[in-house]
Amino acid sequence: MGHATGAGVSRLSRPPLPARAAAHAAVYAAALSMLLPFAWMVLTSLKGDSEALTSDRFLPEVWRFDNYRRAVESAELGRFYSTTVVVAVLTTVLGVFYNALAGYAFAKLRFRGRGVAFGFTLATMMLPAQCFFVFAYLFASSLGFIDNLQALVVPFLASGFGIFYMRQAIAAVPDSLIEAGRMDGLGEFDIFWHVVRPAVWPAVAALAIFTFMNSWNSFFWPLIVVDSTGMKTLPLAVAELSSGQYVQSWPVRMAAATILTVPVVVVFAVFQRAFVHGLASTGLKE
Amino acid sequence: MGREARSAWLFISVPLTVLMVFTLAPTVLGLGLSLFDWDGSGWPRFVGLANYRGLAGDASFGPALKNTLVFAALTVPASVLIGFLLACAVNAPWFRGRTTVRTMLFLPTVVSIVSIGFVWRWLLENQGGLVPEVMRRWGVEPPDFLSGGDAGGLGVISWPMLSIVMVQVWRSVGFCVVLYLASMQQINASLYEAAECDGAGRWTILRRITWPQVAPMTAFLFITSAIGALQVFDVVVAMTGSTNMSAQTDRTRVLNTMVLAEFRQSRLGYASAIGAVIFGLTALVTAAQLWATRRGRA
Repeated sequence: MGHATGAGVSRLSRPPLPARAAAHAAVYAAALSMLLPFAWMVLTSLKGDSEALTSDRFLPEVWRFDNYRRAVESAELGRFYSTTVVVAVLTTVLGVFYNALAGYAFAKLRFRGRGVAFGFTLATMMLPAQCFFVFAYLFASSLGFIDNLQALVVPFLASGFGIFYMRQAIAAVPDSLIEAGRMDGLGEFDIFWHVVRPAVWPAVAALAIFTFMNSWNSFFWPLIVVDSTGMKTLPLAVAELSSGQYVQSWPVRMAAATILTVPVVVVFAVFQRAFVHGLASTGLKE
Repeated sequence: MGREARSAWLFISVPLTVLMVFTLAPTVLGLGLSLFDWDGSGWPRFVGLANYRGLAGDASFGPALKNTLVFAALTVPASVLIGFLLACAVNAPWFRGRTTVRTMLFLPTVVSIVSIGFVWRWLLENQGGLVPEVMRRWGVEPPDFLSGGDAGGLGVISWPMLSIVMVQVWRSVGFCVVLYLASMQQINASLYEAAECDGAGRWTILRRITWPQVAPMTAFLFITSAIGALQVFDVVVAMTGSTNMSAQTDRTRVLNTMVLAEFRQSRLGYASAIGAVIFGLTALVTAAQLWATRRGRA
């Protein structure tokens, strides 16, 4: 999205000042409403338990960083942090690799059954798969995945969306580049790795960020396939803070929520441009 | 098979297998299992439509179905429409701070629903929560957002469910804005110029040019949000603060929390029948959308 745009609308006359001011006010109010709850989360996480419930002040009287230690200890967050990082990184690296590989096959290789296979891939996007997790669970369980890392990674190695997205990106790579690779005697995988991958790097980055966030925030599936505490992910551990009722303190809960939120917001902030750009160009050009 | 075809099948083998095993097969088998009685061990017992008859007589099912439909009917149009209006303003050439605003609006989309649930329950909490507190200062008696009864006395939606709807709209608007912005960038500027030459007002331009031009995006947002809304789960669990599905009451129970509750009771056929209801609703929405798109084109 080239951003100084608004395209050629710029030649239109501007609306009168009050209208422009009102539009700005409405948009900024909405934007602030997205930000303030998170600011309140962080502020609360630094207050005392009773202070949070009664105080009139927005800022903490004493900044109690201790709440973070309480959150980490009471929910063993440190232990689940590493699981979540490992799962998210594995899912991202492998998932993007496989989706891109399939996207390349669908975009540039000719083979019988391509239409059917691609149609199948698209169809999976429209299925409300989440409500039929029974067999997904049974398959995962018979493969010995339950309570293992595989359960949290393998089902996310491919997604209809990811394959479709990479196919759209790779379709835009000129055929001549790929032909040149073939002339040089490169195999299909070498062409994918050395020619196509560098050419679609922005799309790869966008899909990677998207996959990372999805994995990090994943809630429904871990809730089903994680039985013991061993493979718990961070969202599960944090959710159970209130579910078990064993932490009644809002500041401690807010500290846990902050711990869960910070990594993904950092990733988003750093890669914001690539991500929003990638999301916006999601193959919605026909 | 030629070299190219062999490579292609090799490349798509792993992704296709994963989709087959974890998406397609579970859906197809799940639809079938809805006709069986099964606790996961031994052979399933064929019971015909008994699970569906059971649903009709299940006192939990009615409220769950109603809550799901009300949730979808409120959140989908609200997110899409608010997203459209915000995007129109942000896209205007005279708008200041486009990138900043876009980032802020998108923020809730990237944050874990678990954190969002914590934050909003704390904000709406009757004792000490910021929102009820501010309302009291302004002399308004706040409703019990998280555990109140019927909202508005119409029997349509409970206060907790209304809070869930509100949070869902709040967290999905940014996504709509970003996609609408991308779509609006593609509109040919000459359309606007021609309209202005013809003396069309702003409202007319919005209604007659912008809205029709982004119609494919609107269709995309509607259909994907609707499919998501019919399967709603995580925002409900996060806002009720319990991963124990049997703790859901009629006020907030939705179809998908019911699926998980039945699954945990090892009533797999019955759970699949509820899944099949969600599947049927999804198919209806998809068909309606296709029909509307066709009619729009004709």
